Amino acid sequence: MNKLKEIYEYRLMVYSLVKRDLRGKYKGSVLGFMWTFVNPLLQLLVYNMVFSIIMRAGVEKFYLYLFVGLIPWLFFSAAITGGSTCIIAQKDLIKKIRFPREIIPISFVTSQFVNMLLSFIVVIIVSVVSGVKLTVGGILCLPVIMLVEYMMALGIALISSSLTVYFRDLEHILAIVAMAWLYATPICYPETMVPEKYLSLYRLNPVTPVVNAYRDVLYYGKTPDLTTLLLAAGIGLITILLGVLIFGKLQRRFAEEL
Amino acid sequence: MEDNVAIRVSNLTKKFKVYYDKGRSLKEVILFRNRNKHEVRTVLNDVSFDIKKGEAVGLIGHNGCGKSTLLKLISGILYPDSGSVEIAGRVSSLLELGAGFHPDMSGRENIYINASIFGLTREEIEARLQTIIDFSELHGFIDNPVRTYSSGMYMRLAFSVAINVDADVLLIDEILAVGDANFQAKCFSKLQEIKEKGTTIVIVSHSLSQIENICDRSIWINEGVIKADGTPLAVHSEYLDFMNEQRQAAGGKALDIPPEYVAYMQERRYKENLKLSMIPEQQAAVEANGGQYRWGSGEVKITSITASGPDGVGKRLFEVGSDVYFKVHYHVEKPIKDAVFGIGFFRNSGENLYGTNTRIDGKPNFDIDEDGEFTIIMRKIPLMPDQYTVSFSIEYGDGVPVDYWKDALKIDTYRKTPDVGGFFMEHDWEYGEHKAQD
Repeated sequence: MNKLKEIYEYRLMVYSLVKRDLRGKYKGSVLGFMWTFVNPLLQLLVYNMVFSIIMRAGVEKFYLYLFVGLIPWLFFSAAITGGSTCIIAQKDLIKKIRFPREIIPISFVTSQFVNMLLSFIVVIIVSVVSGVKLTVGGILCLPVIMLVEYMMALGIALISSSLTVYFRDLEHILAIVAMAWLYATPICYPETMVPEKYLSLYRLNPVTPVVNAYRDVLYYGKTPDLTTLLLAAGIGLITILLGVLIFGKLQRRFAEEL
Repeated sequence: MEDNVAIRVSNLTKKFKVYYDKGRSLKEVILFRNRNKHEVRTVLNDVSFDIKKGEAVGLIGHNGCGKSTLLKLISGILYPDSGSVEIAGRVSSLLELGAGFHPDMSGRENIYINASIFGLTREEIEARLQTIIDFSELHGFIDNPVRTYSSGMYMRLAFSVAINVDADVLLIDEILAVGDANFQAKCFSKLQEIKEKGTTIVIVSHSLSQIENICDRSIWINEGVIKADGTPLAVHSEYLDFMNEQRQAAGGKALDIPPEYVAYMQERRYKENLKLSMIPEQQAAVEANGGQYRWGSGEVKITSITASGPDGVGKRLFEVGSDVYFKVHYHVEKPIKDAVFGIGFFRNSGENLYGTNTRIDGKPNFDIDEDGEFTIIMRKIPLMPDQYTVSFSIEYGDGVPVDYWKDALKIDTYRKTPDVGGFFMEHDWEYGEHKAQD
């Protein structure tokens, strides 16, 4: 509880680090901040070419199907891979200044999250232009879905960032894990392509209900069944609690190990 | 913890693992389990002390004695293996300046980032913003990106943020060496001001004189334990003696004594000699002056001294062999007769290099009855590159000091050629019967 209060006191630091990260990202490029919107649009263009012309997956408006799943996934995957190195990347701060170290993964995940939010502007526009009828209930559910995803991502980043300080291989292992995880989630293909006998195992993936919920809102144009999100929310809560616990233990020797 | 205690360190022990050959990858961890040999080094061993509110304490000791580790434990960057640190109030640690600065963002934006890392809220930063900018003297540049700053400007901004955090406890590690001499002096007086406001200060520094100037107490850490704890002068004397013995025991070789220590010891010895040669009234005056070596009966006081070249523009750096003009302004409280002006050059170590006055030079004595000035022109100064202190004096009669200002001014000299020594000596070369080319 004390920890929470302390983190709250350092809220401006989270804000500053996120702002610094977002501002710094496209500094010096001609389009600057516009890249936040141009980048997902260009990605969409490429996927559209590939999946509408070359690899037809047999899903209607496949580009949108893919896009709606991919943007949240990119956030999640960045939180896993980039999250693992975020402490090491800020070692100068850790070694020289005292602050609640949880701020570093929180800022990192938040910065990726803000990026996703901005990309979602593009997703929603594309979705509307493609003729999806968005429901009010669906739109209202979006923040809930995002919150669940944020919790999972933060929990994982707390665990991976603190473990990586002691065990540097984790960075490379997690890159592979992230890749495998992408294919264990119905993003590039519909869930119906998964063989029946693996389905119960497949459904254990907590990201699947999150991706499905996004799709319900932005692809099928319906209000998602939030009960399917319960599992994901529960797992999100557990990873956060576990993350805070593990991080709290491991951060005590950060300054020596870095 | 009692009300008047700011920091309580109880039975603090900290050990570091020193790996001979540390492997941290999977292969190394699994395959070479027993290769992960390490020794455990006890950096701090059962250290306890209290620091009272408003106290300024210096931590001293040779390199690796554990003083920086102690400071990091107090600040909460490191965690102890056993024992505890209790602190009353907000801590600000000036261990790193400019943390989180982003080169592409403006000075103003970086103030926000940097201060937020110290845990300040937006309102707190806004309340301090103007003070920080004023202190940094970067008014015209504050909205320019930090990458366009010189390193001096960068440090000034960083220090200004750190020093204005308004903590209850301020921890400082070797950072007073920032910026030019002017800015250092300013930081120094800001520290004094902070101290007077009742902030508890803990400083780790190699400069014993810095600690003597700011702190009321010194704690000497040696081999992870407190070796001495008391007033800076007492502790430092003991410490310097100890270092000296160590040095002699090591066959007179410089152990790890930084040159500052040697200079400091010489300075101390010089000051003691000076005190011995002073008449009691002079000595009392020096002490009353807070250790500043300025004394005299005070009828006439030197108000300002400028060193310059022939153009009269004040500067501090002079080329060896150039002419240096010292212009001295004085203010008259009470007219005096038979005044004598004097000047003296000293090395930082205290060695007197040259001194003279108008009586020695056979100039007529003056009667001073109103404010005025005099100029001493030192022609072709032969002092080789180093820092020198210059003293000025006004006496009357048979040498009654009116204003005797020791170490009033510092000058530095430089030289474009690599010849060596203490003084430049004018010379020529002659080869056999041929004269050297002009």
